[in-house]
Amino acid sequence: MRIKTTREQRILYIKTTIRWILYYFLIFSGFVIMTSGTWYKPILVLPMALAVSMNNNQYASVLTGALCGFLIDISCGKLFGYNAVLLSVFCILTSLLFELYLKHKFLNYMMITAAASYIQCFLDYKFYYEMWGYANVERIFSQITLRVWIYTVISSVFIYLIFSLINHFLMPKTHFTIEEAISTRSQQNN
Amino acid sequence: MREFIKSTRFKILLAFLAFLIGIMIYAVTKGGYSVSGSSFINTITKPFRRAANSISMGIEKKLDIFSDSDSYYEENQLLRKENSDLKKKLSDYNAIKSENEELRKFFTIKEEHEDFVLSQPCDVIGYVTNDPFRSFTIDKGSADGIKPDCPVVTAEGLVGITVEVSEHVSTVRTVLSPDLSIAAICSASIADYGIIEGSVLAAEKGYTLLKHISPKHKLRTGDLMITSGSSGLVPKDYPIGTIKSIDLDSNGLSVIAEIEPCTDITRLTSVIVITDFSGKRSDSDED
Repeated sequence: MRIKTTREQRILYIKTTIRWILYYFLIFSGFVIMTSGTWYKPILVLPMALAVSMNNNQYASVLTGALCGFLIDISCGKLFGYNAVLLSVFCILTSLLFELYLKHKFLNYMMITAAASYIQCFLDYKFYYEMWGYANVERIFSQITLRVWIYTVISSVFIYLIFSLINHFLMPKTHFTIEEAISTRSQQNN
Repeated sequence: MREFIKSTRFKILLAFLAFLIGIMIYAVTKGGYSVSGSSFINTITKPFRRAANSISMGIEKKLDIFSDSDSYYEENQLLRKENSDLKKKLSDYNAIKSENEELRKFFTIKEEHEDFVLSQPCDVIGYVTNDPFRSFTIDKGSADGIKPDCPVVTAEGLVGITVEVSEHVSTVRTVLSPDLSIAAICSASIADYGIIEGSVLAAEKGYTLLKHISPKHKLRTGDLMITSGSSGLVPKDYPIGTIKSIDLDSNGLSVIAEIEPCTDITRLTSVIVITDFSGKRSDSDED
């Protein structure tokens, strides 16, 4: 890896700070949107937490997941900590999957988001409605749970684009020296 | 992956998850009061949520005109007819009523029920996201004397009870919820009584249900149901809603009625909390 100059290090530090400020500003905005109005709305902070996890290590992912989970608990009136546990697990897994197995592609992100938000919505329905045996409870699943899930998946397209834009400009890029690039190339050829 | 499971990083993440589960279990034991973390986030985000909610409610109101134009048209025709009838009979009364402000309405509650200890008027910060039973949060909490299980009302009628109280924010469970049961009697004939309890289907229409009515009842559509006050959860003789329809229960043994709450619970902007009243169940009674 090329040794960075003091100036490059300072730029990297500023870019990283701005990137995280933007991440958390977006998460906060998502939370405010979720708590306003009376219509059914997507769980915006879930795809945001996954978008952060996709590009960061497990520590940053688990903290972001926990924070987003707490925000969901507050906005949706759930037991404080329930969604924090759930999203922390999702974020660790997402971070690991993208680190070890998956490429940073739109389709991969969409599949992970669709699966994670479905599990979140389904568990919410199971624990908060079906388990209590309300009459006609299946209507909540068809009329609200599925609708919220679809909204969340649709919203994740825009969230991916916004986070990609932030990462494109502010994510530090891996630098290679000429020697490293040649050695990597020769390893690939072998 | 195997390396990750054996690493210190994995153990730290596992410890963090255990910490989160600990918070969750601690939250369960709080008995209606918020965990301090939740209370802190609620306090910090309150002004932003209030601002965003007022913007969103305004936009929704505008968009509703386009999305529900057919039903609005029918409703408008019906209301016009009713309005012209009312104008003939109550023109003076309507003129005076329109001048009344919201705070004046709340003042009447105190005038009519001297035993009530009321909170300051509470603004609705926002509805709980994606809740089918329209729970909502208000901008007053334990610092304003509000406790869990306090009745929440408007001048028109009962709205619900407080279920989770932070220092400056409280969550209200409405009468549309199946988790809230309130004994009710008919204002016209006290012999007819039942239990007000929400349901999934009724909540979709903004209604609640009156259950366990005797088959020999004399209830009619339009009758006003009021609280019986027998449980000590809500004060006696407070309006809940009017009967929209009466039918046999699915078991065929009792009668069930759809109740339209006196207040439109889906469009609340401010409410008031009754922190104390005569006949209120104390915590020691509950034990």
